[in-house]
Amino acid sequence: MATIPIHYGLLLAALLFVVGLVGVLVRRNILFILMSIEIMLNAAGLAFVVGGARWGRADGQVMVIIILTVAAAEVAVGLALVLRFHGWFKSLDADRASEMRG
Amino acid sequence: MPATVEIAVFWPFFVYFGCVIVLVAGMVGVSYVLGSRHWERATGAPFESGIVTTGSARVGVPANFYLVAMLFVIFDLESVFLFAWAAVVRQVGWTGYVGACVFIVMMAAALVYLWRVGALEGR
Amino acid sequence: MTGVELILLLPLIVLSGAAVAVMLAIAVRRNYLAAFLLTLLGFVLTIMAVALSPGGPQRNVTALFVFDDFARFFIGLITGAGLFVAVLAFDYFRQQRGQFEEFFIMLLGATFGCAVLVASRHFASLFLGLEILSVSLYAMIAYSRDREISTEAGLKYLILAGVSAAFLVFGMALVYAQTGALEFSRMPYITASPDEPLDIIVLAGFGMIIVGIGFKLALVPFHLWTPDVYQGAPAPVTAFIATASKGAVFALLLRLFAQTDVAFYPPLYVTFVILAIASMLFGSWLALLQNNMKRILAYSSIAHLGFLLVAFMGRGHIQSTAAAFYLTAYFVTTLGAFGIVSLLSPGERDAEWIEDYRGLFWRRPFVAVVFSVMIFSLAGIPLTGGFVGKVLVILAGEQAAQWALVVVLVTASAISLFYYVRVVGIMYMPAEAGGADRPALPGLSLQGGGALACLTGLLVLLGVYPGPFLDLVRDMVTTVYAGVLPR
Repeated sequence: MATIPIHYGLLLAALLFVVGLVGVLVRRNILFILMSIEIMLNAAGLAFVVGGARWGRADGQVMVIIILTVAAAEVAVGLALVLRFHGWFKSLDADRASEMRG
Repeated sequence: MPATVEIAVFWPFFVYFGCVIVLVAGMVGVSYVLGSRHWERATGAPFESGIVTTGSARVGVPANFYLVAMLFVIFDLESVFLFAWAAVVRQVGWTGYVGACVFIVMMAAALVYLWRVGALEGR
Repeated sequence: MTGVELILLLPLIVLSGAAVAVMLAIAVRRNYLAAFLLTLLGFVLTIMAVALSPGGPQRNVTALFVFDDFARFFIGLITGAGLFVAVLAFDYFRQQRGQFEEFFIMLLGATFGCAVLVASRHFASLFLGLEILSVSLYAMIAYSRDREISTEAGLKYLILAGVSAAFLVFGMALVYAQTGALEFSRMPYITASPDEPLDIIVLAGFGMIIVGIGFKLALVPFHLWTPDVYQGAPAPVTAFIATASKGAVFALLLRLFAQTDVAFYPPLYVTFVILAIASMLFGSWLALLQNNMKRILAYSSIAHLGFLLVAFMGRGHIQSTAAAFYLTAYFVTTLGAFGIVSLLSPGERDAEWIEDYRGLFWRRPFVAVVFSVMIFSLAGIPLTGGFVGKVLVILAGEQAAQWALVVVLVTASAISLFYYVRVVGIMYMPAEAGGADRPALPGLSLQGGGALACLTGLLVLLGVYPGPFLDLVRDMVTTVYAGVLPR
């Protein structure tokens, strides 16, 4: 059984990461920004899986589970804040959050 | 490893991919050719078991659904750790058992808190 | 897991246990005072556990943690900061409407995250500690429910911290994919052969890790969240972010790069130098333009992290000692400064505008004098801990022959004097004109005043008689280099 070269996996992960990063920078809707952050975190997870496969050890996959858990916690708090934000500003536009300047 | 060799090794994937494309294109294409066409009054309306639709699809969803979804995601993910423990329960022995017990007790404490605060009421 | 390992782990166990205990106490019966007292008990027990635990180098507990003197010192420091923030928060939230018991769970959780961070020797514990800290902080920043800017600040911090965490963890993944190492001590060590170029993927990985850490430390290109979050967060939370959160990440930086020394590979080294110079100059410059006390202190903290990086850039015992001493003085000073902002805040809003402080000396002489001492220490004026810290950092930079950095440090300190003097000056102006619309100052509570007095005493002690503490720090720092290859 031939294996896929490691660089392909890392390249895919890097592409996913860039997709997420561009999403964070370009999107103005907070929900989509949160989703883009999830994509970035999952890209890191993919890179860990690739690394784990290369070294034939389980610790890469352990890191993926940790990343998933942390991402869930982050989204739980994030969505609660989004709900509150919507209550204040009646919109999900990130540009509305500009009370503070300087 | 040179690229040509890889394509040779992974040919089943490409065949599979091709099959999927052909199948989907076939299903859509054949029904396009053979299917009947008609333009009646209700053709463009969504099909809901023959009942006429009412209202808009963009209704506000109560925030309680968010709460339930969040509880599910959190407690669902915690079970992943128990599965991981279950896979190696004999190797990790009593240390692992104590660790899992601490984990479950913490979960139970969180559940007690949520129950007492009223997060599980679903008002 | 042996008995000794359990004893070493005790500070972490006590902290997490305290968080669960407070949670259960709230579940049984909701009582603000009880939650506060339980939190205090948790912090005090943690400090006792740290003091009683056996010290020394190389105290590894599993693959994840190391409890050497370095970790013990910083856990103690951070727990002390947590204790002080709990006292501040008790007075602060008592004046507001709403339920604030859960705040203490978050505070214990955030302190726990910091403690995990400074004791970690593995990427997994690093990431977990950082995220426990961050997720608790999101909730703490947005805690003032009836303030719009609190929510806004929480969301801004959430998004930027999320992005920085993604950078950090992707960097870790790259390092892991290329070297197979998740423990710091197994990572590349390059001073043995500085001519050999570092693998490009490892370099990229460490670069991304630096971006993630730079966000947390608010170094200059990554500082954009700092003023807004400092302003929007409730004042006690701001005190926590400025001290415990940044201090823990900086301690981690010291440990990570004491064990791998990749930071001294030329491209990364130059990056750090640029970050340090930019932080010092921009932090000092932008603080001049502010009229909001929290924002002034935010930019001042950016500059201070730049000063700390100067000490970090010379890798060695002298430099690390200087950094640890400076960090301690910074902790005491910043906690005091934000503590005063917090204690002077009436229920409706924070005492954040510089006009709120006009003539403070004539209304609250004790608070004004304490604030002056804190500001003098931030500015590095003799007889305060900040002065000794700054001298040590300059000596460390001089020892490492970092002349450019030292010159920038002195310049930035000179610039910063302007806004520090301005803040002190306004407190001693006569209080009249426009005093009517100013909200009444809340009464200073016994515990609040006592805590301020303690911090002031500590700061002057550090400034006048730093000897014993300096010896402690020097011994502590040597443990972090234990087991590292000689240069």
